[in-house]
Amino acid sequence: MDLEALKEAVVAGDVKGATLLTEVAIQAGHAPAAILNDALVPAMEIVGDKFRCNEVYVPEVLVAARAMKKSLALLKPLLTQSGVRPVATAVIGTVKGDLHDIGKNLVCMMLEGAGFEVVDLGADVTPEKFVQAAKDTEAKLLGISTLLTTTMLGMKDVVRALEQAKLRDQVKVMVGGAPVTQAFADEIGADAYGESAAVAVGKARELLGIR
Amino acid sequence: MTHRERVLTTLRREPPDRVPVDIGGTLASTLNIHTYRRLMRHLGFGDDPPAAYLSRRSNSVLPDEQLLRHLDVDCRAVLLGSPDRHPEQELPDGTITDEWGVTWKHVGEGQHYINAGGPFYKDEPGPSAVEAFAWPDPLDSGRFRSLRSQAHTHQLAHDAALVLVLGTGPVHQLQFMRGYAAALEDMIANPAFVEAFLARYADFWVCMAEKALTDVADLIDVVMFGDDLGMQQGPVMSPALYRRMLKPTHARMVQTVKRFGKPVLLHSCGSMTALIPDLIEIGFDALHPIQVSAKDMDTGRLKKEFGRDLAFWGAIDTQRVLPRGTLAEVRAEVRQRIADLAPGGGYILGAVHNIQAEVPVENILAMVNAAREFGKY
Repeated sequence: MDLEALKEAVVAGDVKGATLLTEVAIQAGHAPAAILNDALVPAMEIVGDKFRCNEVYVPEVLVAARAMKKSLALLKPLLTQSGVRPVATAVIGTVKGDLHDIGKNLVCMMLEGAGFEVVDLGADVTPEKFVQAAKDTEAKLLGISTLLTTTMLGMKDVVRALEQAKLRDQVKVMVGGAPVTQAFADEIGADAYGESAAVAVGKARELLGIR
Repeated sequence: MTHRERVLTTLRREPPDRVPVDIGGTLASTLNIHTYRRLMRHLGFGDDPPAAYLSRRSNSVLPDEQLLRHLDVDCRAVLLGSPDRHPEQELPDGTITDEWGVTWKHVGEGQHYINAGGPFYKDEPGPSAVEAFAWPDPLDSGRFRSLRSQAHTHQLAHDAALVLVLGTGPVHQLQFMRGYAAALEDMIANPAFVEAFLARYADFWVCMAEKALTDVADLIDVVMFGDDLGMQQGPVMSPALYRRMLKPTHARMVQTVKRFGKPVLLHSCGSMTALIPDLIEIGFDALHPIQVSAKDMDTGRLKKEFGRDLAFWGAIDTQRVLPRGTLAEVRAEVRQRIADLAPGGGYILGAVHNIQAEVPVENILAMVNAAREFGKY
């Protein structure tokens, strides 16, 4: 079977279909890495593009991500077994003092769908916790989110904490969230800014110099 | 013109004498409690002024009448009271629970609360869960007891335009009770549940609104409720999904108010342009807060495309200008928004949403002063 049907099922948010087709693909002998890279990753790229162009919206992205996650859950043990490593590890969280997380969660889903290992720290994350997680996981990417103007400056504290821990050179910092702008990202010394989860994967790949 | 005449003329999209100013007149156009106290101290209205909450969960205040008269604000809010059964309760761990079974938590003193748990948070609720839920009583007397006295107090004090704040819209309430992301996902993946909830919530809201308006329509001028349909980059749902899932419920709510002959203001944050034609079609008279920093919310374009049919309420940027702008930038922002939105009436000026904790007092005063300077017709 070709993987086109699985890809379409994920784009359409067909959870049952995606689960079934993943099982069929595995049984048919497709390598787990091929299922990930030829079906799941392109599916989420399509979803990301449509999201950016306002062809689909948050509800559609969420159901597609749900289908992707179900499929990925079947693949993960097989990927580990066959020694397939994730593209890179990304540590993601909402800044200290802010509990909003849907934007951050969308970024996590998009990165996962692109083959990243995502460590989701949740919301209200201190600079120390960001730094510790980056250290523990040897993350190449650190993503910080906020909705609130009141807590934005906390992003600068995270960048500073990375510098103090002598990790700044090893980790690329990506920021986003409703009040965040490119100018603000530049001001605080972040490496990249994304205006929406739709561009997260592209920015991450660009930062890390991968396809 | 009186403040009331000014606001009502504006909402009819006719030119008043000057652009009306709102601070504290709706559930989302007031001040954070810390900012409020600083402003009051700055103006010499006491070193430790008491502050009554407009919304405990938003840590926002009902501004004192002395402040509002000093700033010559045109609107005042008339609020539903706390229900006698299941008023909001603060628990020892600092969370708040409400009559809808929603738990609210926050992470900082003076910060607003966010929903952290609710009766539909478990996976895959269906229509039967909607039926089985212990729906609050829309006619709980606590909601209505103080409406007339609030309105009378405002009238005696000042000839302000009174905004009856009728709380939360259906999408918001569903998000609080189900979780934000799950509610949005359900609109596609579990539509039977969402439809059942919306219908039942509309029943609740219409019953409550009819009682409130029967009690106080003769004294109030505008009715508003809040339902967040927009995010920074666009609406949170497609126009097609809005039309299919939500529009009929909103239409029912608007028609309820219109039977009492009052204009209806919708509060909905974010990038709303794609949905505005539908909002106009079902009869909303005005939109708040006009989040100008969101995508496609250029105020010149909004006025040109929709100004004939919709009034705009808010529009002074709170994501950059008010918190971090210079005084000159605040003045320029006000001048620009008035130039874009005010011609021919149809613009009530205020901050985009509540004025947050980090906004300097000087910037708030600069906004009000610039509104006077540039707001004459």
